Amino acid sequence: MKIFKYIGIIVLSLFSFTAMAQVPAPGEAQSEPIAIMNAYAHLGNGEVIENSVITFENGVITNVADATTIRLDLSKFKVIKAEGMHVYPGLIASNTIIGLEEISAVRATRDQDETGDFNPNVRALVAYNTDSELIPTTRFNGVLYAQTTPRGGRISGSSSVMNLDAWNWEDAVLKNDEGIHLNWPSKLRRPRWWLGENEWSRNKEYDVDYQEVKSFFNDAASYNQISQPETTNLKLEAMKGLFDGSKNLYIHTDRAKEILESIQFAMKMGIKKIVLVGGDEAYYVRDFLKENDIPVILEETLRLPSRTSDPVDMPYQLPNLLHEAGIKVAIGQWGSVMQVRNLPFSVGTAAAYGLGKEEALRMVTLNPAEIMGVDDNIGSLEKGKVASIVVSKGDILDMEGNQMEYVFIEGRQVTLEAHQQRLYQKFKEKFDQE
Amino acid sequence: MMKKLLLVCFSFWLFSSYAQETYTVNGVKDERPGLHAFINATLHVDYQTSIENATLLIQKGEVIASGKDIKVPNGAIIHDLKGKHIYPSFIELSSNIGMPKAESSRSPGPQLGPKKEGAYNANDAIKAYFNAYEAFEAKSSDADKMRKAGFGVVLTHNQDGLVRGTGTVVALHDGPENEIMLKESASQHFSFNKGTSTQDNPSSLMGAIALIKQTYLDAQWYANQNDMVDIALDAFNKNKSYPQFFDADGDKLYVLRADKLGDEFGVQYIIKGNGDEYQRLDDIKATNAQLILPVNYPEAYDVEDPFDALNISLEDMKHWEMAPYNLKMVADKGINYSITSDGLKDASKLSDMISQSLDAGLSEEQALKALTYNPAQFIKMEDKLGSLTKGKYANFIITDGSPVKKDTKIYENWVQGNPYKYNDYTLAEIVGNYTLTVGDENYQLEIKGEPGKEKFKIIVNDTTSYEVKSEISKQLISFSFKDEGKEEDGKIRLSGWLKEKGLAGSAKMPDGSWAKWSATLNEDDSSEDKEEDKKEDEKEDSKIASLIYPFVAHGNTERPTAETILIKNATVWTNETDGVLENTDVLLENGKIAKIGKDLSASGAREIDGTGKHLTPGIIDEHSHIAISRGVNEGSEAVTAEVNIEDVVDSEDINIYRQLSGGVVASQLLHGSANPIGGRSAIVKLKWGYSPDEMKISWADKFIKFALGENVKQSNWGDRNTIRFPQTRMGVEQVFEDAFTRAREYEDEWKDYNDLSKRDKANATAPRKDLELETIVEILNSERFISCHSYVQSEINMLMEVAERYSFRINTFTHILEGYKLADKMKEHGVGGSTFSDWWAYKFEVNDAIPYNAALMHGEGVVTAINSDDAEMGRRLNQEAGKTMKYGGVPVEEALKMVTLNPAKLLHLDDRMGSIKVGKDADVVLWSAEPLSIYAKAEKTIIEGAVFFDREEQEENLDAIQAERARLVAKMQGEKSKGKSTQKAMPKSQIIYHCETEIQNYSSLK
Repeated sequence: MKIFKYIGIIVLSLFSFTAMAQVPAPGEAQSEPIAIMNAYAHLGNGEVIENSVITFENGVITNVADATTIRLDLSKFKVIKAEGMHVYPGLIASNTIIGLEEISAVRATRDQDETGDFNPNVRALVAYNTDSELIPTTRFNGVLYAQTTPRGGRISGSSSVMNLDAWNWEDAVLKNDEGIHLNWPSKLRRPRWWLGENEWSRNKEYDVDYQEVKSFFNDAASYNQISQPETTNLKLEAMKGLFDGSKNLYIHTDRAKEILESIQFAMKMGIKKIVLVGGDEAYYVRDFLKENDIPVILEETLRLPSRTSDPVDMPYQLPNLLHEAGIKVAIGQWGSVMQVRNLPFSVGTAAAYGLGKEEALRMVTLNPAEIMGVDDNIGSLEKGKVASIVVSKGDILDMEGNQMEYVFIEGRQVTLEAHQQRLYQKFKEKFDQE
Repeated sequence: MMKKLLLVCFSFWLFSSYAQETYTVNGVKDERPGLHAFINATLHVDYQTSIENATLLIQKGEVIASGKDIKVPNGAIIHDLKGKHIYPSFIELSSNIGMPKAESSRSPGPQLGPKKEGAYNANDAIKAYFNAYEAFEAKSSDADKMRKAGFGVVLTHNQDGLVRGTGTVVALHDGPENEIMLKESASQHFSFNKGTSTQDNPSSLMGAIALIKQTYLDAQWYANQNDMVDIALDAFNKNKSYPQFFDADGDKLYVLRADKLGDEFGVQYIIKGNGDEYQRLDDIKATNAQLILPVNYPEAYDVEDPFDALNISLEDMKHWEMAPYNLKMVADKGINYSITSDGLKDASKLSDMISQSLDAGLSEEQALKALTYNPAQFIKMEDKLGSLTKGKYANFIITDGSPVKKDTKIYENWVQGNPYKYNDYTLAEIVGNYTLTVGDENYQLEIKGEPGKEKFKIIVNDTTSYEVKSEISKQLISFSFKDEGKEEDGKIRLSGWLKEKGLAGSAKMPDGSWAKWSATLNEDDSSEDKEEDKKEDEKEDSKIASLIYPFVAHGNTERPTAETILIKNATVWTNETDGVLENTDVLLENGKIAKIGKDLSASGAREIDGTGKHLTPGIIDEHSHIAISRGVNEGSEAVTAEVNIEDVVDSEDINIYRQLSGGVVASQLLHGSANPIGGRSAIVKLKWGYSPDEMKISWADKFIKFALGENVKQSNWGDRNTIRFPQTRMGVEQVFEDAFTRAREYEDEWKDYNDLSKRDKANATAPRKDLELETIVEILNSERFISCHSYVQSEINMLMEVAERYSFRINTFTHILEGYKLADKMKEHGVGGSTFSDWWAYKFEVNDAIPYNAALMHGEGVVTAINSDDAEMGRRLNQEAGKTMKYGGVPVEEALKMVTLNPAKLLHLDDRMGSIKVGKDADVVLWSAEPLSIYAKAEKTIIEGAVFFDREEQEENLDAIQAERARLVAKMQGEKSKGKSTQKAMPKSQIIYHCETEIQNYSSLK
């Protein structure tokens, strides 16, 4: 049995002075079958195998089994000894602007927000920058896929699911233009706190906003039924997928009344697949969501309760409360793009507050994969899915345990070290620290 | 039986008593005697004395006699007030009646200096020169609104600016300004709101407080110098002799702040409060201030829609219920106050509101005192106002009962002998059921309704009745109806007059004939029974809420106090050489850690089972912006060392409780990072429920915030902010250089002055005391310590070098994201680093920020802490510390120190905090799991032996919150069903402050 030592760290530290400010090259295509042996496997579908064997070849998982019961000839495999380690499907970050924004304070580096109200035809993936410095820091913590999503306007545009290790956006894309993002108007207007206001007021424009959305969707539905329109309308063209179920409609809204109103609206419009994004008050309308089978992508767990009288840990509990109500939940992390790398800890906190580790993990693996319609490829460790796998020294949901030893995307081993590690190395050496 | 009713209800002005000495008369002189006698009245001479059957005699606007057995002089116009009451009219102390309309236009971009031209103050918000009496222009309609509510006199001032100048006392009659002004300058006024001033400074509450303080100091200095003229300071000095009023607009904490400010300069303000004083009554009492209290009690919220109801916070719901109790509770505490109608949509609502307070137990006497006697005292005019004895102004109201009760009618309001009539008390009362006889026919006539708006109705039987058209004018009455029982067309038309217990007159019948008619009051009128029913109705829901401290959801019903606590069998993380002790007991006694060991016992101690749990020192956040009122940045100038977060600590911030739930026991509340030299910080323990002063760590050293980089050079403030110095890192250094140079010179100047002999001193002018430079001198002398916001290595290097040039050291670099590049130099300088665990990518200067920063600095021996800068992150600093294990492999005990002992060291608190050691403060946290694990929950957070957070109790608290909300919702629904008006349920947001909060503010203003 031959064991391959992975020596990326050493190699890179040699490079560190010449390779500054350059993201590492994507991993090379899998050239031989690999077996990860004896790790504690968290499959992403809620199941675990305490002592597992996971094999993959040509970027596809060929076997996921219990090492104590399976017989396997390891001679054909490059074997990774992972006893004491934990193996997971790559985590999926929902609703992010990763690749679209580099430095939030520098306008030139922001590409997520197009001007105009209705932009369903605007596509995030073409602006996705594979050379963003943020990407390596994200996969460093086990996040291997991201839904790259436009922002702003009433309809921001279309999102795509990207893998986080590629030469260019075409290589990165796993599923393109999988959904359209609708920012539902708010019934309330924010307090203008710079004027000393702290109370919200009624949004007098709500009905107008609602009508605008309604007529846009009406036009889209009408356009969808005309086989040969006289004039091609790019906006309405982009909306077509919503009516045949090939695209998701992501409705971004937080408050209970808007949740009810927006989802009822979308159903009435004949939208096949509806996903609620945000859902701060989803708890109060959980029966409605369950009844209509609406999945929810929750905002990150690590935030403050919205109300003073809420339990202090309300956002920590929310994923579990919805899960218990029978709703399919994914957890996102989009407050600030740098925070995407903290997705595991956001989920870990939910795990600690009633959800348990495996259900929590599912909310960043299989659940988002199912919501985005990529579960045939990713989201769990199952035979036939692509080999996007992380091997962590310990519990990926805990800070101390979250130490990636091996990361594979579609079977390609990914370089973990980048700008931040190089700087660390440089100054560790300067100070002669060990 | 007869209900009081009046026939006329409009105001009219009888005649003029005005006679202006200096004015030329057009025509013949028309001065009238103005001698009036009001007899047979119940005379309320003052708020506590009433005399039945008394006489009030006035002449030319003054009381010449009042009481019993007063001989009415010849020629007096006699007003028979049998059954009526006379009260002294009310005095309003918070008004801007007659003042110019406040106008302000902010032009885009910074305004660094004052706009007002002339020899005025350096800050436009200091308007001490403004004299209300000079600007006053009487406006009859405004005065009339106040008169209708029972007011006779008003103290009015220009409600604009921090120092607002003088107020003037005016009578509310319609004479010329020359005559209605009773005292031209009666007061000087202050507030925390800069008003129409568009000058950038002050932009925050703490900036406003600092500016007022500096104004006091400047005025002192100004009085003894001859170098310059400042009209505002000159006026400020002159105005000192008047009663000083402070409008503490905000909440109860603002009242405390105003009083504290006054204390510093030996001034006792009369403070206008906010109606929520009951929420911090002991602290309010301790101010010894007299108050002006509003009665603008909130309407019930519309909670019919359960989703809307979610929007209303528990504190707003509770305040809705408690607000009417404020006056009673404040009075019971022995605090003197006057009541103001300010804040009411309409002054005429005054008696409705006070009536609610009477229902809540306030005595009528107290209410009257607060409207008459007290305000007269406050403006030192008790010799002329507030009561009706000889020599007082003839300012009184004629009513049908107590004027602080709902539905009491004010008939007339006499101001300096000028009558304003609102209801005619001379008219008879005619409400009731009558038997109407017209010719030979009898009808049942019902008269109902408000005076002047009576409705007449002919009752045929229980189910049938018909309307009657009626008109009443003075003593005459006319009405008409069609007798439905008759076939003939046409109406019976009646005209007549009022007489004892009835009406009489002549009727024109439909057939054109005349008939006599009369109406006689029936004997069995039963309107009083209904009255009693109503009273019982109101008593129903007299149950009210208990107070909580602070007055916010999750507040405590009882203040947590130190207990003797024995924690048994826990894993104890000592942060001392003992390291982590398994199966260990810790005894907390008298707020201190008393014993650490195995198998401890203590009689009477509350035992907490720590089996399987972890006990650590409480978390300390070196960099926090929670619990700060109205602005975290005074970013209007490059140097604002004069401002102090200690002045604006907000003990009611829910984030205090949220931090406790994450095991935090203490925080440094820092000024933001908008300018190179920011404000002084407050170091507090998170004693939820205690007052701001009690939260401050009294023995802590003094700190100040400095800042470097993009924020201070305004890189991200929007395109207009390119004027304020500095705009580059080069300029930043010069700001420090200049500040320290000036501070040294300032210190020398004072030293020279203090060294003078007594005689020389007497001849010399003392240097101007400058709060900004005083603070910087403290830094130079290592009496105050710097926590400096910093990112990139060049600027860090620079500030250390500047400090070394001035022979002191920087205490802490906070954020310090490139600290790792200079860790060796930091070590050498002796500065600590308090950093984010893993933040970056939000602006250009954090490009090289790496999560290994803490590990590298720590590795070089720099005292390293992990901070939050954020209310959310602050409550899981244990997780953030845990990241140093991931990034850089910091050992777990060292990682824990980064949020406990190390910040204690950086804040100079480590003598008493930061580790579990006998004799140290009992600030400990019991965790459910290894403290830095993602699965760890703080189960108990203990500060000085008192349990401030208990996760088990939280469940009960939540149930209690739910129950309380449900009770209040039901009560509000009750209000709505009674037909009372309600307000929409809109959510409120809290500003969560960060270093850069005001910077975002600036750019959003454009």
